[in-house]
Amino acid sequence: MTKKHSFLLEVKDLAQHFGGLKAVDQVNLCINEGEIVSVIGPNGAGKTTFFNVRTGVYPGTRGESVFCGTEIRGKHCHDIVCRGVARTFQNIRLFANMTSLENVMVGRHGRTSQFLLGPLLRTKAFKQEEKEIEHMAKELLEFVGLKSLGNELAKNLPYGAQRKLEIARALASEPKLLILDEPTAGMNPTESQDLVTLVRKVRDRGVTVLLIEHQMRVVMDISDRVIVFDYGVKIAEGKPKEVVANARVIEAYLGKEGA
Amino acid sequence: MNKLLHHKWTPWVLLALAAAFPFVAGAIEANYLVRVGGVIGLFMLLGLGLNFTLGYAGLFDLGFIAFYAVGAYTTAIAMKAGAPGALALVLAVLVTLAVRALLGLTILRLRGDYLAVVTMGFGEIARLTINNLDSLTNGPKGMQLAPWRPLGFLSADPNVQYYLMILAAVAVSCVASRRLEDSRVGRAWIAIREDEIAARLSGIPVREYKLLAFTLSAAFAGLAGGLFAQWEQFVTPESFVFWESILVVSIVVLGGMGSIPGVLVGALVLVGFPPLMQWKLSADWINYRYLFFGLILVLVTLFRPQGILPSSRREAELTS
Repeated sequence: MTKKHSFLLEVKDLAQHFGGLKAVDQVNLCINEGEIVSVIGPNGAGKTTFFNVRTGVYPGTRGESVFCGTEIRGKHCHDIVCRGVARTFQNIRLFANMTSLENVMVGRHGRTSQFLLGPLLRTKAFKQEEKEIEHMAKELLEFVGLKSLGNELAKNLPYGAQRKLEIARALASEPKLLILDEPTAGMNPTESQDLVTLVRKVRDRGVTVLLIEHQMRVVMDISDRVIVFDYGVKIAEGKPKEVVANARVIEAYLGKEGA
Repeated sequence: MNKLLHHKWTPWVLLALAAAFPFVAGAIEANYLVRVGGVIGLFMLLGLGLNFTLGYAGLFDLGFIAFYAVGAYTTAIAMKAGAPGALALVLAVLVTLAVRALLGLTILRLRGDYLAVVTMGFGEIARLTINNLDSLTNGPKGMQLAPWRPLGFLSADPNVQYYLMILAAVAVSCVASRRLEDSRVGRAWIAIREDEIAARLSGIPVREYKLLAFTLSAAFAGLAGGLFAQWEQFVTPESFVFWESILVVSIVVLGGMGSIPGVLVGALVLVGFPPLMQWKLSADWINYRYLFFGLILVLVTLFRPQGILPSSRREAELTS
């Protein structure tokens, strides 16, 4: 079991059906440690559903999803997070009425342990842990460039900052794999470029990144590898340059020539 | 004003004033107000309890008064069986916690309006059960309790004694709420209230934490119910009608959801205002209490929808 495969994540024949609709079907893919992999595909191709199965939001109909040598399909979200998979959302989901700093502190939940008695009695261990949580949260805010906005309520942050805050919150759980669902959606070119830089910095921390992305410029720029989905099925995989030249990919996006 | 409110001595000054109040009131022959103060305190306890469920975890509960009833009846039954007053209070808290946990286990998969309706149903079931379980609760005739007056050395007046006990319970509850709120546990609850899916994907076991907030709420209600029963020396199902649940929800919403000072002020305004009117004006005024209650709710909803004293997030030191 231990050294059979060296992939960080290995997905075998994964499927999620909703009644007769095969949102994701027969997906096989592997992700190596330290890679930045993009998943692209037309709208409704099943990208987000695939991510939702991966992170435990949906149980998945069939197949395997092996992370660091353990099967994680069908496990609880919080369990999967604790194993080292964190994610952000296509439509930003922050804790709107908490401060930026608190948002990141919540992200530490799975890596900390103080429960009722510690907080109630304000024990030494509790104070120590709180200090560590706060310290790490501040460090992460600085990492994504939001340190000065730490006391702002998340709902009051500008759009680009909210995206970054989600990444900081996800990083607080010390993931091995970070899944970003359309991180540059709705951003202008400068903001996108900013985010690309941030994603590289994240990878340089030793975190593998898997992202869904629509902006081809970003995909070409950032990805080590690209995986293409259409109608819930993987139709192509490879280096960015190879993928854009692939006939099936062009067909999926633009339709068949002469049709 | 805001600075004064957040000064670190403010709670202690308020507590000292509240503790001195019955003795001052005794001197100016306003004993009636001490009684009112005690009732306000009981509702502060209920509000602080419900604040865990509604304020922190964001779960609507329209049957909270049932747990006040469970506390009161547990105390009455325990004391009838010969238990000393203090033990009866402990039992009240434990039994209430257990009943609440069982209820939570069965209904917490529901959300929003559905949860509100089911808790409302439970509130009525509890009241009707008490009303009809003659062998244990003596039904609508109610139960008499033996007197328990542990603070006789402070005052001969039972109203003053229970006022002070309730005040102590409120103070301890505030500290406990504050400490839990400002911790990993409290942050998890608020995160669940803000966005359940994001909370799950931040590593929070949502179901367990909801159950925890839901259950802990009941400890406060159980304690309040026990003190109420011992103070009145009489309990009947009449005291635990649906209206009282609404009153507790209103206290939390009007004061500011998730805000401890908000709950205290909410109870002070909603529970304190009608008897105060009656005291100062005339007994007839009490007939208009629901009119004023409605008016206050409408005004607050229009002009201060976040509550009278909304919760404010802790500010961290960002330099260094």
